Order: sequence, then C-alpha cells, then structure tokens
Amino acid sequence: MENEKTIAVPLMERPIVRTVMPFAGFIFIVVLFAILTGGQLFTAGNLKLLLSQSYVLLIACVGVFMVMTMGGLDFSQGSMLGVCSVVICFLSNYNIVLAIVCGMLTGGLIGIVNGFFNVKRKITSFIVTICNMYLLRGMVAYATTKSPVYGVSNITDYNSMGFNLTFTLIILIAAFAAFEYTGLGNRLKAIGAGETAARFAGVRVERTKMLVYMAAGMITGLAAFINSIKVGSVTSTAGNQLETQIMIALVLGGMPVNGGAKVKFYNIILGALTYKILTAGLVMLGIEPKTQQLIMGIVFLIMVAVFADRETGMIVK
Amino acid sequence: MSEVLLHAEQIDKNFGATHAIDHVTLDFYKGEVHALIGENGSGKSTFTSCLTGIYHKDTGTFTLLGKEVHARNQVDGNYQGVAIIVQEIGTLSGLTVAENIFLGKEDEFTRMHVKNTKAMNKRAQELLDSYGFGYIKATDIIDKYNFEDRKLIEIVKATHFKPQILVVDETTTALGEKGRKELFKVMRQTKEDGRCVIFISHDLDEVIEQSDNISVLRDGVLIDTVKSSNVNTDDLKKLMVGREMSNNYYRNDYDEEVSSEVVLKGEHLTVPGEIEDFNIELHKGEIIGIGGLSECGMHEVGKALFGASYDRKGSVTLADGTAINDIKTAIDHSIAYASKDRDNESLVINDTIQDNICLPSLEDIKRNKILHAKDEKAFAEKYAKQMSTKMEGVHQFMSALSGGNKQKVVLARWIGKNSDIIILDSPTRGIDVKVKADIYQMMDHMRKNGKSIIMISEEISELLGMADRIIVMKDGRRSGEFKRSSDLKDTDLIAKMV
Repeated sequence: MENEKTIAVPLMERPIVRTVMPFAGFIFIVVLFAILTGGQLFTAGNLKLLLSQSYVLLIACVGVFMVMTMGGLDFSQGSMLGVCSVVICFLSNYNIVLAIVCGMLTGGLIGIVNGFFNVKRKITSFIVTICNMYLLRGMVAYATTKSPVYGVSNITDYNSMGFNLTFTLIILIAAFAAFEYTGLGNRLKAIGAGETAARFAGVRVERTKMLVYMAAGMITGLAAFINSIKVGSVTSTAGNQLETQIMIALVLGGMPVNGGAKVKFYNIILGALTYKILTAGLVMLGIEPKTQQLIMGIVFLIMVAVFADRETGMIVK
Repeated sequence: MSEVLLHAEQIDKNFGATHAIDHVTLDFYKGEVHALIGENGSGKSTFTSCLTGIYHKDTGTFTLLGKEVHARNQVDGNYQGVAIIVQEIGTLSGLTVAENIFLGKEDEFTRMHVKNTKAMNKRAQELLDSYGFGYIKATDIIDKYNFEDRKLIEIVKATHFKPQILVVDETTTALGEKGRKELFKVMRQTKEDGRCVIFISHDLDEVIEQSDNISVLRDGVLIDTVKSSNVNTDDLKKLMVGREMSNNYYRNDYDEEVSSEVVLKGEHLTVPGEIEDFNIELHKGEIIGIGGLSECGMHEVGKALFGASYDRKGSVTLADGTAINDIKTAIDHSIAYASKDRDNESLVINDTIQDNICLPSLEDIKRNKILHAKDEKAFAEKYAKQMSTKMEGVHQFMSALSGGNKQKVVLARWIGKNSDIIILDSPTRGIDVKVKADIYQMMDHMRKNGKSIIMISEEISELLGMADRIIVMKDGRRSGEFKRSSDLKDTDLIAKMV
C-alpha cells in the first residue's frame, strides 16, 4: 500500500512537499546568503537592521493573509499604508494616541470601501483593489505635493527595537489566536475553498468578507504607525509596491495564491522573513536593482506555480 | 457466444492511496449490452473513463478488434471507436447544437484552414432528423434547450459516428420517460449492428431488463459476470454488497400516530418562477415526503424553508414563533439541510472531511470559548465513524471520496449538529443500495427520537416507503397529499404529478 502511494501521487502534489518546501526554501536562502556574503548578512548589526525592516511587512501581511485565505486579493495595501501614514503623521502633531486610532480608522474605512465594491457590487477584489491602489496613491501624492507631511518632532523616539518588536508580536499573536482558536480561520478557509457551500453551512459570507477587508485595513493602519515612527514623515512614495512585496512574501511562505483549505498561519512569518533575507542579501551582494527585480520575478513565478492549489482553480473572488 | 469485440487486460488505476480498479480483465462481445454494476466507489465509472480517455489507466491494455485503444482524451477515443455518454451535462453552454455535436472534430469540415460552418450545420441537422429529434435546430445555441433535450443532443454527439463501444454511464437517472426511450432505442440499434454497449446504472431492474450480461465490481475488483436472464435483483445486490441484503430496507410500520405538535410552519411560500403559494406544517417525529417531477419546484421548497432562497415571499416560522429568513438563523435554530447539489451546496469539496463536518458546529465544539484543534478532530472522527464513512482519515479531502461517502459526510455534519428539523433533498440520489439502507435506517431512528424530517425525492418508492405524509407538487403548487398507507400505490402519486 505504501509503495502504491508513492507511485500514484506526483511529487509536487504531495502534502508533505507543500509543508516542507517553504521551510526548505527559507533554510536554503539563509545558507546561500551566509556563504555568498561570507557570513556578513548575519552579523548582529545586520540582523538587527534586517529585523527593523521587517516589521511593516510582517504586520501588513496579516491582513492580506486573511483576505487571500478567502480567495481574494488586496493590491491597495501600499497606497493604503501611504494614506494612513499621512493621517498618522499629521495628527501626531496634536496627540499620538489620536494619531494611531485615526490611522486605524482610516485603514478600516478604506477596507470597507474595498469590501463594499467586492461584496455588494460583486466586482472581483483584484479589480476593486487595483482601482483603489491608484485612487489612494493619488491622495497621498496630493497631500504631499508641496512638502512631505512631517510627524511631531519626537515621533521617532518610539522607534526602538523593544517597542517595535513588542508591537509586532502583539499583533501577530492576536491574529494567530483569532485565526486558530475562534473558528475564524475555519470560516475563512471554507469561503476560500467553496463560497456557496460555506454559505449553506451557516457562514455569513458577506458579513465575514466585509469584516475581513475592514480588519485588513485597520491592521495596515497599525503598520503605517510603525512606518511613520521609523521615517518621521511621509512622502508621495510611502508604501510604494508594498502590495507586491506582501504577495511575494506570502507565496514564499507557502501560501496558495487562491487561498482555501491549505492555508497555514505560519506562511506569514516564514514568508516575510524569507522575503526580507532574500532582498537584503541581494542588496548586500551589490546586485543592481534592475537585476534584483528580475530575480524576484523569477522566484515569485516559481513559487506561485508550486503552491497554487490546482484543485480549487485560479478563481479570484 | 459470438466474437470478442473489446478485451480489457489487467486494467489498473490508483487515485492517491485509493485502489480504484484492481487488475480487471474482462471481455465484451459483439452485439451485446454489457452492464457494469457495483456500489458507489466500486470502480465502474473509473473503468469506463479509462477506456474513453477521461482518465488515464496506470497499467493494462484495452484491445478493440485486435488494435490497442489508447485514448488520450474523449475526442481521441471517438476516433479509436469508443464513446461515452456521462451522467452530468456533457454539452457546453454558449455553443450551438452543431458545434457541440462536432466538438473537437471541426477539422472534418475544414478545408484550407477555413471551417465550413454551413456544411457542419447541415450535417448536424441531418443527424438530428435521422434520430427523430427534428424539432431541435442545429444552429440554435444549446442553452435554449432544457436538460432533457441537451441529453438527447449528447446521445447524437456520442453515437452519430457509430462507435464500436458505446458507454452509457448512469445517464438514465438524469432522463425522463421520453429520454429513456430514445436512449434505449439507440442502445438497441448499437447492439443490432453487432457493436457493444457498456451500460452503467444503479437501477437494477433496468439493468436486468436492458442488458445481456452483467459484470459486478466491488472495491475495484471484478467479482463475477452473470447472464441477465439467470438472475434477479436480489442476486445482484448480494454480489454487489458481498452479503445477504434484507429485501425491504424501508420502515415497515403503517399505523403509528404522528404527534400533533407542529415544529415548523411554512405559509404562503412563493419564490418567483419556482413555487407558488405553498403551505406546509411539519409535526414532531414526522417524516414528510415531497415528490413530483424534477421541475415541479419541490427542490426550491427545501431551500425556502432553510432560508436559502433568493427573493422568497411568505413566512417560515418555528413553534416558538421564530422567523426563519436566512441560513444562519435556520442552523442556529436546529434546522439542517442537505442539498441535492452535493458538490456545490452541501460540501466544501476542496476541503477536508474534518472541516466539513465541524463547520456549522464550531461554536459548539469550543471549550471555554476556545476552539481546540484536537476537539475538532475528535468531533469529526466521532460522527464520520458513526456514519461508517469510508476514508483514510478525517484529514482526507472531500474530492477524493465517492458519491455515497460524500453524502455520509453531509449527514455526519448534521447529526453532529444535533438538529431537530432535517430537510433532505434527494438524500439517496446516485447512491448504492447499501448506503441507501443505512440512510433509511438513520431516518427511522431520528424519527423515533422525536426529530422531524422533510424528504424531497424524485424516487417514488422511497416516498412510499419512508414518509408519514406525502405532498405531491406540480408546476410549483401542491397538487395532492397522501397519508402513509400500505395500500398507497406509485400510480396514485404519478396521477397527481403529471
């Protein structure tokens, strides 16, 4: 029986491959760059730098992870981060708590707009969020036409490893608990794998989708806060291409692009770290940005091909 | 016996860890209708799918008139002399009737890289006329025709080129009286021409009536081949299941009083185009059967009562006055619904058995408001085992299970939810005798425990055998109602259906 099993299931379709591949990829990249940079990439100083660059991506990935689990996509994240950063920096001049709260609300509001067009108007999330990507980028550009929006002068005081790490960990742990221990994960996966059947099993599909888009926006508001305290101001390019980074990171972490039952929470952490090590390694090797993009594109394509859940099909909701 | 037409030698096929066909060797003769029977998941469809190019066999050879058949896909199979009519819709929407008939064979009408549509349409119309389906126009978009007509078009598609082997895979369950007649006519013609029909059906009476020889498969293994004239349905059941089946698997009581307590009330239910001012009262411990022709609206009644219909008018209320207007409320108030459309509505097909069983019960599985993975697993295992689901484990994906086992998972889910009102739409559709018997037994058990059941069914014998009351529908309205009685005949119900 065991023997038959190995013959019947193609290598790449086996569940064990799906589980091992992202970990193997992570280790491969760590070892590869450790050798190529002569261990330089993993000196204490560089590791700290690497971590400091990872917070925003880690946090923003959480929201998109939930959207993608449901079989949706969110391309508006980068521009959304820009808009939230503008709000946070502007309000930080008055009150820092107000700034965070309003940053989250802004993200949540944008999420509701995404959700409205996707759920109520039945437009695929791919289209809706690409439209909003341009719309929001325009808003950021408008707000920063004359000069960058500056935060309060001492806003960068918060930018310490202790604060950032705690802040990020709290978000990750809260999201993990919600995903694994409240049934949220089960419902989102069910929606991703079969929306009609999920509805017939009592999942309030529309409400859940709206909430997830909203939550994804609010989480990005939190990421925008970390971004703001790191930079201290917002320019028109804030959060540029974050959406693609998120998507590449999640896929590197082993997430099927079309969501569904095979999604795992660790995809977020594994993916964000793999992505950051990969980019940092390429920079350190002195590879030109153009070539870097080329390499990332190839890696992304390979990972998508490996992790797409072909049974669910390439349906973007 | 006449000459061998098709010889299957040591055909073997695995799906993952499931050994779907286990080295089957079988001969098919010229001028015979050869039936393949077996329970769900016994490998009948897999066998014929390997022959006709829908799947690819792992090992073994098919030899047709001395030449090996190696079909890469269905069209390729057609050119090698094998064709199949499948259970589901086998025609493509949005194309014309002619385009469907000659799908993948457009080259036959192509000269100098230009397709001669006119010639194709003309040829298609000639074929339709020769089958006696002249009222179907070759140039029409196929969507214009109903399910039955599309099935007839599929018959033309699969047989117009006179294949040596014609596979009819559970097509009859989808057909009405007229469609069946046409299909049997084509089968007879194939046989008389000295070609061969491989006939797959769950209806054993039909199998004995239509076929010359019957081969029985069980768990992918060929059990026996018998002459149809020497067997009756009980013999076949015994061969299929591997043990004696009690002849009567319905409940056998006839004069039990049903409680007067009403648990669910549907009043003036109207769904545009589906049902019209329908009323129903379900009592505690009662099984109501709803029957009628496939298009009579009865399937929508189940959805309407479950709060799943779009644009429903009228009211659905429970004994305590709770109004049911959406699915979540229905489930929270102990209503369960198993749809006829098992793969899309009942089950998340690309998800595991565990997730499917647990999904409506997540809140109940929580301990101190926390959902534990091992509780989910234990819950799923308990109910999957209670339904004796055939599986590797609850982590297995639904898509790997056979029809009968899928239905068991659906029922396991609702037994796990411990719902008091159970709406079953076509609960035994496409399911073999053994699982059927299990389902009937389960229904009887539930009824005795005070649960109430609405069973919507296209099978009259099932309605007569299981229901306390039978409501017959026609054109979206109630056309008759019958009380349970041993004197009730199928003809009584049919009279109200048509």
